[in-house]
Amino acid sequence: MAMKALDIYKHLPKTNCKKCGYPTCLAFAMKLATGKADVEACPDLDPGAKALLGGVTRPPVRAVTIGAGERSVTIGEEFVLFRHEKTFYHPPGIMVEVSDTWTEVEVRSVVDEVRETVVHRVGQDLVLNGVAVRNESGSADRFAETVRLAGGGSSLPLVLISDDPTAFEAALAIAGQYRPLIHAATADNWEPLAALAKQYGSPLVVRAGTPADLAAITAKCAEAGVADLLIDPAPGSLQGYITVATEIRRSAIERTEPALGYPIYLDAGALGETDAAVATGILKYAGIIVTPRFSRASREAALTLRQNIYTDPQHPIQVTPGVYPINNPERDAPVLLTVNFSLTYFTIVGYLEASRMPCHLLIVDTEGLSVLTSVAGGKLTETMVADALKKFGVADLVDHRILIIPGYAAPLSGKIEDATGWKVMVGPRDAADLPEYLEKEWKT
Amino acid sequence: MSENSPDKLAIREVRLGATRAEGGTREVSYVIGGDRGLPFCGNDAGRRLVALEICDDPAIWPPVVRNYVGDLVNNPEDWAQAAERRYGADLVRLNFTSTKKRGFNAFADIASTTERVLEATTRPLIIEGSNDPQVDSEVFRRCGEAGEGERLLLGTAEADRYRSVAAAALAYGHLVIAQSPIDVNLAKQLNILLRETGVPEDRIVIDPYTGALGYGFEYSYSVMERIRLAAIAGDDDLAMPMISAPTDTLSIREVREAAPEEQDAMAVAWEFYTAYSAFVAGASVVCVRHPLTVERLKKVLEA
Repeated sequence: MAMKALDIYKHLPKTNCKKCGYPTCLAFAMKLATGKADVEACPDLDPGAKALLGGVTRPPVRAVTIGAGERSVTIGEEFVLFRHEKTFYHPPGIMVEVSDTWTEVEVRSVVDEVRETVVHRVGQDLVLNGVAVRNESGSADRFAETVRLAGGGSSLPLVLISDDPTAFEAALAIAGQYRPLIHAATADNWEPLAALAKQYGSPLVVRAGTPADLAAITAKCAEAGVADLLIDPAPGSLQGYITVATEIRRSAIERTEPALGYPIYLDAGALGETDAAVATGILKYAGIIVTPRFSRASREAALTLRQNIYTDPQHPIQVTPGVYPINNPERDAPVLLTVNFSLTYFTIVGYLEASRMPCHLLIVDTEGLSVLTSVAGGKLTETMVADALKKFGVADLVDHRILIIPGYAAPLSGKIEDATGWKVMVGPRDAADLPEYLEKEWKT
Repeated sequence: MSENSPDKLAIREVRLGATRAEGGTREVSYVIGGDRGLPFCGNDAGRRLVALEICDDPAIWPPVVRNYVGDLVNNPEDWAQAAERRYGADLVRLNFTSTKKRGFNAFADIASTTERVLEATTRPLIIEGSNDPQVDSEVFRRCGEAGEGERLLLGTAEADRYRSVAAAALAYGHLVIAQSPIDVNLAKQLNILLRETGVPEDRIVIDPYTGALGYGFEYSYSVMERIRLAAIAGDDDLAMPMISAPTDTLSIREVREAAPEEQDAMAVAWEFYTAYSAFVAGASVVCVRHPLTVERLKKVLEA
């Protein structure tokens, strides 16, 4: 189990030498306790204390980086079973599969698609992460050639899938310097694969049917000098995956089986319904998801789900304050006030756009709090509204001086009128009622 | 953790619909709930139902669905029948969208549409009545009466307007959907209110409200997980099965503005990812609007 900061502190030198980068040993202990610092940073620890603290303070799921350069993907370093307990930190890498039995054109089209797919959402660029090359030809040369066609790992991270050590040797001769992920070491072949992974410094997937077998093989690979491991529980069904992935993540977090403290690998194509498998991996603990090529619609939905699930619940995505035109508003269109909580914003925009009613939406900065919470907590005030009207030049956009405020902000209506000089109308509480409200009440 | 305790059901069993032997006219009734642990983790009963939503006035229905189902949108009983027979839905959710019109007063139509849809279907039925306090009482009375004995699942009760739904459910032997705005504590409060009104606990299904994918779905996902965890930890006021209706997902920009040839694919992909995730979070009934989504969900659940 994890140790508390004070228990960790007892094992530190208590010299406050700052060599670890923290001002005091206690500060370092607090970082260690949350898995945010590495015991190696302390130069004065004796090996016994280092081993003890290392075991209890490193992240329960090891961070592993696949690929090199700007598109490399780091996964793992997770601390919880459910996102509401804190947050999920590292979204799974989604790797699209190609086979070394395909033509050059087929391989290139997938590689281009992975490279070029970008979904822009709320200020983030969502991308697919890499390409998985599957050795189905039986030929090591063919495998190596396809790895080369897939960019050799220099631009996109690669997963190399085979069960033949000579095929890996040929492929690693091309891609070895770019940290491709090697899949998979099993009870039978882990020795040569671990040796290759060590030689090239590549991360390695361990594959076995039960957590106990997985732990046995990861322990041997770690002993052989491969630190960056992933685990593939080889599930037979979606339900089987969820059950075993939950067990693995729980063992890692509760530190009952350190040999399971690695990110999970999921082959989405092996489970029939690709979209369901990809979604399952995103929702339930996968670090790397290998998927057959999927449609644009599925890619966008999958990337959006991944963004949603990996949003920090304590720091909701916020909308930049400002005045947003909806449905090409003119100078007689209503001005609606709301907060910068992304859910509020998107809900309102959704209803307004669907209604085709032109309007100006004024977003004020409530630090991502909803209307109800920000009014109650004093984060939405008449001064803020007055400042925002001025700052964003709303008076220059419209000929009228009427501001529609959210229903839950009704207690502020008088104060806002006084502070802004604008006439205030109290709108509905529920965004769904906005179109009807505007239709009924809005006349300039 | 107590979730592996074999003795106690974490989630109460709720029976939807009534066969002739049970006092209704359905060919089947469904039991949902009965789970002891986390969803899909071996200790849950795995009773998951896919509902197709239909409506009695398609004016505000998503264009992509209207285009796909064609003339069915003008005829709720044919649409409901197709939902069961052609699209493979486990059940139908009939939305009385006509009640959203200003000055609605066609109460007799509510009763007759309910009767006709019951006549056209053989499985349990979910009915979404009005959401305007001025007509709630009469709308719920009419559809409740028309379906007396059928153990309809009636929606939607909310904290500030639950009495009409509860009254109809109590008077005619139906179940209630209890919706709260993405909040564990509010879900619990509403269940307590309903209990105090006399609605038995095995006649309540929790709707934690489902935000659209990309537009807050993560809040709904986490609230569903939290409700399920609370139930596993022994909170009786949250130990009801959940229903999720990711209906907003078809109104989002990505779906509305998709190229014509991609509209169905986009609608189905977004709806599928949301609906499937709702099941993983713990929902027992998930309601969707595109027929192709029903087919894909059923395939995955049956695999």
